[in-house]
Amino acid sequence: MNAFAAPDAIHQAGVAHTAVSLLVAMQLAVPAGTLAAIGLPALLGRPLRERTTTRLVGGGFTAAFLAGLAVLAVLATRGFAMETVHLGTWFSVGHHAATIDLVADGLSVPYVCFSTGLCALVNAFAGKYLHREPGFTRFFVLLALFGTGMNLMVLAGSIDVLFAGWEFIGISSALLIGFFHERTSAVRAALRAFTTYRICDIGLLVAGVVVHRAVGSGDFERLFAGTWPHATCLVPPATATAVALLLVFASLGKGAQVPFSNWLPKAMEGPTPSSAIFYGALSIHAGAYVLLRCEPLLDAAPLARVALVVIGVGTALHAALVGRVQTDLKGMLAYASMTQSGIIFAEIGLGLRVVALVHIVSHAILRSLQILRSPSALHDRHELEAALGGPPGAGGWALERLLPAAARRTLYRIALERGFEEMAVMRGVVGPAVRLLERLAEAERSFAAWLGEKRSWRPWRRS
Amino acid sequence: MNGVDATSIESLHAIMLGVVAMTVVAPLAAAGVVASGGFAKSPRTPAAAALLVALFAAALLSWLWHAADGVPYEFGERLGGGSLVHVDGITAVLLPTVALIGLVIMLAAPKRFLDPAATVRLLLGSAATFAMFATAHPLALVALWVVTALPTWLSTRGTPGGRPAARAFAIAMIVATVCMACGTLLMLADPPWERGCGLVGNAGGWLVALAVLVRKGIVPFHSWYPALFAGAPLSTALAATMPHVAAYTAVRLLMGHADHGAGVGAELVVLSQLALVTTAYGGALAVVQRDLRGLIGTLAMSQSAMVLAGLAGKIPMELNGALCIWISSGLALTGIGLVAWALESRAGPLPLTTPQGRFQDAPAIAAFFMIFGLATIGLPGTLSFVADDLLVSGSLDEQLHAGLLVIASTALSGIAVMRGWFLIFGGPVAVDGPRHMILPRERVALTALLVPLFVFGLWPAPLVRSLERAAEQLLGVTADGEPVASPGGAPAEATIAPL
Repeated sequence: MNAFAAPDAIHQAGVAHTAVSLLVAMQLAVPAGTLAAIGLPALLGRPLRERTTTRLVGGGFTAAFLAGLAVLAVLATRGFAMETVHLGTWFSVGHHAATIDLVADGLSVPYVCFSTGLCALVNAFAGKYLHREPGFTRFFVLLALFGTGMNLMVLAGSIDVLFAGWEFIGISSALLIGFFHERTSAVRAALRAFTTYRICDIGLLVAGVVVHRAVGSGDFERLFAGTWPHATCLVPPATATAVALLLVFASLGKGAQVPFSNWLPKAMEGPTPSSAIFYGALSIHAGAYVLLRCEPLLDAAPLARVALVVIGVGTALHAALVGRVQTDLKGMLAYASMTQSGIIFAEIGLGLRVVALVHIVSHAILRSLQILRSPSALHDRHELEAALGGPPGAGGWALERLLPAAARRTLYRIALERGFEEMAVMRGVVGPAVRLLERLAEAERSFAAWLGEKRSWRPWRRS
Repeated sequence: MNGVDATSIESLHAIMLGVVAMTVVAPLAAAGVVASGGFAKSPRTPAAAALLVALFAAALLSWLWHAADGVPYEFGERLGGGSLVHVDGITAVLLPTVALIGLVIMLAAPKRFLDPAATVRLLLGSAATFAMFATAHPLALVALWVVTALPTWLSTRGTPGGRPAARAFAIAMIVATVCMACGTLLMLADPPWERGCGLVGNAGGWLVALAVLVRKGIVPFHSWYPALFAGAPLSTALAATMPHVAAYTAVRLLMGHADHGAGVGAELVVLSQLALVTTAYGGALAVVQRDLRGLIGTLAMSQSAMVLAGLAGKIPMELNGALCIWISSGLALTGIGLVAWALESRAGPLPLTTPQGRFQDAPAIAAFFMIFGLATIGLPGTLSFVADDLLVSGSLDEQLHAGLLVIASTALSGIAVMRGWFLIFGGPVAVDGPRHMILPRERVALTALLVPLFVFGLWPAPLVRSLERAAEQLLGVTADGEPVASPGGAPAEATIAPL
């Protein structure tokens, strides 16, 4: 009997692997296909109708969500053991092969289900919310780009694939912040967010370089082995520390951590559905996801973990303080997101991975709901007052009331100035760097002008 | 030989000569027709037709080279190892790109800039560039080096307000040409690829390297480059810079005379290091430009310098990256340059000091600007991402700093592109009039550039294999470090011996 059981088990494992491979490939192919289906007609001057657009995008996300659930079911039967899906070799030169490897495990599959499900819901909301908006198609093209990037990042089996997804998220995020392009404030906010992302992206790119140099490839399976969250690091501590610190740096930008946090409140200039999905739910946690993905490296890098805790706690305190003096709802929600994001970073630094994952998901659901409801907040308040027959009583208890009045005033001033973070970064780093570059550019222009001056080739004639 | 016998190769080579001639003669014939007064009202028609013929001929040449199993074809007088007509991997993979760039520039150029004289200049410049990419003869290279620069100078000089740029260009080109001519003659007198070469040959090599530095706009000889983009019609600036004739000269004259036969010389190593500095410096300057042309100029300077950065590669992968960037940066920068020109022809000069609010005015142009901008800086899914990956991965083994400088450049250029996009297209709506719709010929031209960028970006394997073959021929070693087998099966030295 056993002699026949073994081939059966092998056959079943093969079938399961094939099924997982197809479903995981589908999770990428469907949003990407949606992107092409609505993007190409728009580029050729023939955008699709609103209803077709929302149905295509919604259908794509729903299909990816269902595929994710199916993968989750298959993985559950196999104890959530990691499945590496080799989609193919993109290109190869000599010993260098750029492979497209994806990973389906206990971290990536639940996360991709969560992200595609949320994207599908926001798509349904945005279809109504942005009805007859001039940039309707543009919004959904960017949403599909974001969904493709998110799935690519979450399912990545190598740092190269992860970077590709990371880039799509950054670009779509910046373009959606500047969605209402006729507002100067939106344009400036988008530019600030993109600049912050790009500076922090250097960390991820250099991490990729270091990983390639250390293990000869960007594949995660050469960096760590085992089932999440109990994988073990395969590289020496020095390499692990260098890569982990670079990943921490990379994640600060999208995670809106101090000192790279001042773009987040300004990012609320974008349409409400994109604010909900980007800065309440998915984009803001992209950095935390990358850190969870590479957690065995953090295990071998105590320095990086300490840095995470310090930065996370610092961000949480900063955002909690500044958030208390915000006078607009979206600003308040942005700082609330930043506070939770800081706490999640600290949890990852403390090694509480499952707690961090649960925190990410629960915070994302709550915050996106709050942001989606924010345009109706006044209406909700009026309804509440009408039902109660007057304003609801102000209540609650605040920690700062324990402080002496003078300390409270000082904290209030600090909070009004957003903790002086923006001022310090602009005056200490950005300002001098821009001034230096402007001087160099001016010198270049002066030299080019001198080079192009009319000259007499017979100087004696001038006299 | 992979089953291709010598007779077949000979017959394929015989066809190649005719195809090369067609590539060069078609634009010359069109220039003759336009110069003689034909098609005076629509000089674009014969010019575009001729360049389309040249593009098909270049694509056919590429196919013939592949069909001939990559065996190089030589014809005509041979001097110092370089023949008058020389078709090898680099010609086969780059000539179609150069022809496509020439065609789309002709298609997308605004009508008022395309009078018969400008058309003739563009056609003559294209013909000279095509001829250059099909020769390895040192004296022919020197002659074509001059011929390709002349239309640019004439066109810039004839543009209102373009004289300062023309002067800066002329000074740079005179210096570069003198260095090139003297260096080539010295190298012919004392060939540096032969053992026991003396001071004269080495001096010749360094003079040619200096010429390449100046013509390519590499720091510290770069000032003419942004000035040309600021003062010349953008078609002229793009046609002059995007084919990278200086890099082609470096490949033909400097590659292959390292101390031990095949490999790279010290001149290329210095060129490569300075090019790396240029790529980061250009990216930094692009971030603070005050107008659109300044942005395009510094961005082009930064990204196209990466071509030279990879030419000092000792392994095919790094050289492969350089060739890939040659194609991707040429296509993407031509695209963004043409988009900028299309916008400028509608809205006038565009400053980058405050948001200009042009999105409402030209939404399709905004979309193309964004796509080409992202394709320039290595968006995943485009050919430039593949090129950056090859270049960085290839240089990692020996030069960590090269990877870091390329990364810095990519990050800075990305910020510059997005800043440019937001400041041009964002902000309060600038005009109340009707939209400036993109013209069909502009859409066709820009789409023709986008197709190879995305097709080879998503499915790069065939192109990368072709480039690998070309790189192996240039370096004389395979990707595994083995000597390249000659057509007869025996290991050979560098298939393309310099000079």
